[in-house]
Amino acid sequence: MNNDAKLEAKLNRKNIAINKLKSLGETIIEDVHQNKVPALRVPSRGTSNIVYDDIKRHYVLGDRYGKRSLGNVKQIKKIGQMVYTANFCKDLVAREKTATLRELYYISEGWDVDFGDQQESNIVGEDLEVTLGMTREDLGLMPEEDGASVYGKITLQEGDIEINALRAGKSGYTISPTIDEVEFVDHDVKRVIAVETMGMFHRMVQEEAYKKFDTLIVGLKGQAARATRRFLKRVNQELKLPVYICNDGDPWGFHIAMVIISGSAKLAHVNHDLATPDAKFLGVTASDIINYDLPTDPLKDIDVLRLKELSKDPRYQDENWQMEIKKMLKIGKKAEQQSFSKYGLEYVVDTYFPEKLEQLE
Amino acid sequence: MERQAGELFEEFQELTASEFFRKNKQMLGFSGKIRSLTIVFHELITNSFDAAEEAGILPEIKIDLQRLDKDHYVLKHSDNGPGIPEDYVTKVFCTMFAGSKFRNIQSRGQQGLGCSGCVLLSQMTTGKPAKVTSAYKENGKIKAVEMVLKMDVKTNQGLVLEKREVEADKTGVQIELHFKDVSYSLSEQGAYEYIRRTMIGNPHSKIIFRDPTGHKYIFKRASDVIPPLPKEVLPHPKGVTADDLIFMAKHTDKRRFRSLLTSSLSRMSTKRVNEIQEITGIDLNKRPKDMQWDEAERIVELFAKMDFMAPPTSGLIPIGKEQIEKGMIEILNPEFVASTTRKPVTYRGGVAFIIEAGIAYGGDSGRMVGEQRKAEIMRFANRVPLTFDQGSCAITEGLKSIDWKRYGIRDMDNAPITIFVNIVSTQVPYLSTGKQSVAPEPEILHEVRQTTMKIARQLQKYLRAKKAAKEEALRAKVFDTYVPVILKEAANLAETEVPDYQPVLEKVTRRAQAELLGEPVDEE
Repeated sequence: MNNDAKLEAKLNRKNIAINKLKSLGETIIEDVHQNKVPALRVPSRGTSNIVYDDIKRHYVLGDRYGKRSLGNVKQIKKIGQMVYTANFCKDLVAREKTATLRELYYISEGWDVDFGDQQESNIVGEDLEVTLGMTREDLGLMPEEDGASVYGKITLQEGDIEINALRAGKSGYTISPTIDEVEFVDHDVKRVIAVETMGMFHRMVQEEAYKKFDTLIVGLKGQAARATRRFLKRVNQELKLPVYICNDGDPWGFHIAMVIISGSAKLAHVNHDLATPDAKFLGVTASDIINYDLPTDPLKDIDVLRLKELSKDPRYQDENWQMEIKKMLKIGKKAEQQSFSKYGLEYVVDTYFPEKLEQLE
Repeated sequence: MERQAGELFEEFQELTASEFFRKNKQMLGFSGKIRSLTIVFHELITNSFDAAEEAGILPEIKIDLQRLDKDHYVLKHSDNGPGIPEDYVTKVFCTMFAGSKFRNIQSRGQQGLGCSGCVLLSQMTTGKPAKVTSAYKENGKIKAVEMVLKMDVKTNQGLVLEKREVEADKTGVQIELHFKDVSYSLSEQGAYEYIRRTMIGNPHSKIIFRDPTGHKYIFKRASDVIPPLPKEVLPHPKGVTADDLIFMAKHTDKRRFRSLLTSSLSRMSTKRVNEIQEITGIDLNKRPKDMQWDEAERIVELFAKMDFMAPPTSGLIPIGKEQIEKGMIEILNPEFVASTTRKPVTYRGGVAFIIEAGIAYGGDSGRMVGEQRKAEIMRFANRVPLTFDQGSCAITEGLKSIDWKRYGIRDMDNAPITIFVNIVSTQVPYLSTGKQSVAPEPEILHEVRQTTMKIARQLQKYLRAKKAAKEEALRAKVFDTYVPVILKEAANLAETEVPDYQPVLEKVTRRAQAELLGEPVDEE
């Protein structure tokens, strides 16, 4: 893309957001002109309206709607909060600024229709997302936390600054919450490996895994933030890079990977922008625990419970997952990704990753 | 040492009524200090009411209660009734079983013990005589006499200690009595509460009461309608016993038993008498005095099996819906009141009665216990408050059996509610001689329930409407507050003018109201 095209795309995104927000107000005013009681239709985010789409391979919202009517005592405040928030977002987008959800909550104190707590304002933010079909990042609302760390041969542009993720210090480039504003300028990698812990991230940096495997190293820091998932989705789609995920060998590690792959139920309305269905879980699997004879901890009751839940989850219905879950339940053991250091610090990069990558590729 | 019967019977003596009650004063209701005083109030007030009403006068009573010492009181009670002729004063106040109420008639008192009982109690506890002033009309002029009386219990007659004529400008009776071993109390069983309740059952009366602290309570008249005098009705065959028949036979002037039956009992036709004669084989043409006990028994047994028309109800005078409500409003100042008077029905097959009930909510309804108002039951029999023996009473039992939750009252005990129930009958079936609780006859229980449930439904409706009005005000406020600001903000968002939203605001408010009242809401 040349610069003009990029600018146009960005302007487009901005204009779409502004127009969508404006039309929300127009719908209400139009209803008043027609002497109708204004009401907004907000796609329901209740569990019964979140369905797993087998073809898209992630969760999507069903077609049930909730109503926010000006004529209902319980809904009138919600519709008011939505209109005020929409106006706030429109102003943010127009001025090319962003605000965190916490800032939105505090700003609302000055409104005629305020929020009881931040939980309430977060929900209204989501209401706006699903109603307009846009991510809250599009609306100028940013999460608090930064995304993951990225290390490797990739150059990104944030505003006027170009960043080389190989020269951004040992901790790499930190994915900004405004990841959609970031452009991929250049790269020289063949794949992406995301790891759960920063411990593993630093191990891989030290062992120069980025060179050995021509890979970007992404340190997830636990459950992947929205910006991280958006980043992984974009490198997968725009740069056509395969994504591998390596986490602890327990149900929680499994699920961190699965949320990256198939999206979460809670964010069903934006999963099309966040899920990376082609991403692959590299390990640590129950089979790895056996095959590599890893040091383990026994499964706790809560681990067993969670594994059983996962086995019923539609995202885990593939044969491989079912087998791994059963196996872990059978051995009754779990292992951390750093447990490979039993065989020396280098083992994981020298032996484990090459073997696993070979299997998956 | 063996004693002969004759010796033993030397000590045998006859008791007069006065002497009997002197030894058994609890049978007059005089048991316990608080109760004794309440019963005194009851007897004097009832007599004054009856006298005034019979004379067609709206009753007005002044009561002054002074405490001389602990448990020692002086009671001055005066009314505006027709007065008592001089010759009858001692009979009224000093002779037991003297009175004009030994008939099958709806009345407050029934046994003629009342006034003389109070004099007896006074005399027994203090030894002091009673002072009575009676002003009455004689040949168109008012004559007044002041007497100091003592009761001679041995002879059941009054002794006049002093007597003098005094000046008076209107008729009425005043009595001054000393009491010991009694106690004035503000409790539910106390004299004050008795007056308060009396006023609810008798809204046509006025009572001015000065309590022992000197505080003067004026209970105003809520209605100017003197209740019509009840008429005497003949007993219904199903309500008489063999003894009643023998008693009638002894005191009749009829020549034949059959004519005694038709003239002394209601619903007794010649046809019926013939039937009785045919079935029992008893010759009903014989003289009443020749009626044998076993024959009377057989006749009464047959009565139970025969079908008679329900007893006449012309003798029953209920207080009436309007008067009950006036009384409750005057005394309780409630935010809601409802009442109803049922049609007469019978218990034990032959005794007619009417149940009427009222319910008051809010204001001074209910009884203050600590900081909180609790539900109270006011029981009445022929307008007279029943203060004691609440637990065993048919009225209490009937009310307790109602599922109040069904009427929107979740916690009945702690609700600001007064329930008034009056049973009207020529023969109220009291459980004991104290006449403080009504026997739980199935028909009475049923009527109490039905009557109260009917007005409870009205209360439920009121409470629901009140709640709805409160919510509606809240809702209207929500719309008034939010609709303008939201539409202003929406116009801002749409980058357009704020539209005229008045019609929409009205529509929204109207719809919310319809929703509240459970009416269909037109969906758009």
